Amino acid sequence: MTVSRVLVANRGEIAVRIIRACRALDIDTVLAVSEADRESLPARLAGRTVCIGPASAAGSYLNFRAIVAAAEGTGCDAVHPGYGFLAESPELAEACAEQGITFVGPKPDQIRRMGNKLQARALARQFGVPTLPGSEKVHSAVEAAEAAKRIGYPVLLKAAAGGGGRGMKIVAHPRDMGEMFASASAEARVAFKDDTLYLERLIANARHVEVQVLGDRFGNVIHLGERDCSLQRRHQKLIEEAPAPAITEQLRQQIRQAGVEVARDIGYENAGTVEFILDQDAGAFFFLEMNTRIQVEHPVTETITGIDLVQEQFRVARGESLRFAQSDVSFRGHAIECRINAELPREGFRPDPGTITEWCPPEGPNIRLDTHCHAGYTVPIFYDSMIAKLIVYGFDRAEAIERMRRALEQFTIAGIGTTLPFLHFVMRDPEFAAGKVNTALVEELIARMPGVAAAGVRLAEA
Amino acid sequence: MNKPLSTLTDDEVRQIALLVETLERSTFDYLQLELGDLKVTIGKGNAPPPANAAAPGPYSAVQPAAPVASVAPASAPVSAPAAEPKLAPQPAAAQDGTVTVVAPMIGRFYAKPEPGAAPFVSVGTEVTPDSTVALIEVMKVFTAVRAGVKGVVAEICVQDEQLVEYGQVLIRIRPIE
Repeated sequence: MTVSRVLVANRGEIAVRIIRACRALDIDTVLAVSEADRESLPARLAGRTVCIGPASAAGSYLNFRAIVAAAEGTGCDAVHPGYGFLAESPELAEACAEQGITFVGPKPDQIRRMGNKLQARALARQFGVPTLPGSEKVHSAVEAAEAAKRIGYPVLLKAAAGGGGRGMKIVAHPRDMGEMFASASAEARVAFKDDTLYLERLIANARHVEVQVLGDRFGNVIHLGERDCSLQRRHQKLIEEAPAPAITEQLRQQIRQAGVEVARDIGYENAGTVEFILDQDAGAFFFLEMNTRIQVEHPVTETITGIDLVQEQFRVARGESLRFAQSDVSFRGHAIECRINAELPREGFRPDPGTITEWCPPEGPNIRLDTHCHAGYTVPIFYDSMIAKLIVYGFDRAEAIERMRRALEQFTIAGIGTTLPFLHFVMRDPEFAAGKVNTALVEELIARMPGVAAAGVRLAEA
Repeated sequence: MNKPLSTLTDDEVRQIALLVETLERSTFDYLQLELGDLKVTIGKGNAPPPANAAAPGPYSAVQPAAPVASVAPASAPVSAPAAEPKLAPQPAAAQDGTVTVVAPMIGRFYAKPEPGAAPFVSVGTEVTPDSTVALIEVMKVFTAVRAGVKGVVAEICVQDEQLVEYGQVLIRIRPIE
């Protein structure tokens, strides 16, 4: 199984990231672009581009037939899906297999088994990994209310086909169940064409901790440590770090081991992430889901392990065995990633696409920037608002926070609104500095941020 | 808008809000978008030409004096993103007076209905708007490409069984009235 020319089926910073990994491995690249991305930075870096459809993602980046046709027509022997779009599409993985094209990711059945969150929960339980108290499929609001009574309010209504926070509703009181059930199933139907819902207990003082795993086709599975991604807004991560701060060494090892257990038991191949909810009051952790792809926040893991995850994805995809045993992986220092989005934090994080008139990123030792943006680039309205990931390294967490704070101060972006002011505010927050993070911290910080009193009112822009 | 607002998803509402934002900063006067049965018209005061008489738009009786093309000076860089969301590339008039037929999707171009058969069209073939001029194959699914205009085939721009990209020019037709 060779990988000599790769179709990169994605856009933005991750397309740049994949192309760079290919260059390092002497692999040719073909970039699939929509009409809106013909002139993008990854389009300039790729060996060639092929236009697969209109700006709207439904006709281009989400069209697996167009991706396979593009790969076949340009002589590619592999497809890298990146994250988002078709990264967790068993249809794309299967269509590639049928055409004899290597899909740089896990096997289609592994994507499918983990893609259904109810099935994934059942698998985790079967492997002896704890899951949150919850229900099987609930068919009606009445059935959901019965299950919720048993689990204990507040509960989280979740879509079995879910992802990205869609089809997810908090139900705090039995009287809200009717309304929340209706809106969650409507959202799930629109987003995933599947309105299967289930319940999980809502953990009040929760952290989101995930384990990076890497497997090969010979059954070797290792972990590359954990990441804390508790700083989220509407279930979208904003700041990630590795290793997870302020947990006991014993708990850290247990979580890492549970991640490996889940991946090993399904014979997982390639890079993946096992997500856990950590109940800080109980000191217990629970399996949440497994993401069968490279993740946005992979650079923090790369920074503390020195391992290039995207290159390793290609190595195992072309049939090599893992180059490291678990004992070969060592962790050094602390890494933090800030996601810079084209959004206005003082106006409810409203997306703010447009043309970047000035772009002056920070530089210096232990600063990494993953981006596709530059001065003159127009952030299109069609896609995700993330424009860059700023990653810093420090020998400990305090140094990493300090370096991030200075790096953010040195970053100038004009022409569009960005999350830079909010990220900077977080880096100066004493609670964050003390490692007192949980999934509610971002909302608290937004409320405390100067200038947010005017939220909802459109502020004058320069 | 044919859909009542209550049936729009959060995502659709967000995207429409984005379009309004983008239009505000652009030099365009209005934007019309059709996606399936969803029709959106967003304007800054100058009305678009009426799409059809039966559907009264949100505009008053003020009609633009100038045709659409003159509203968008070529030098306006920020206007491009708002104008792009078309469902499929349309036949376009080229400099030499011919009309181009472009690929409606990425795929393999077939000039003939089956191997060994005569091609759908050659240079000089007379076509009507409904004439099939080629097939595009994506994973064994064939889609007919129509001429879209009455005229005479002036040029076939791609090789049989070649990969064609979305929007790539396939054929040029010289229109006849």
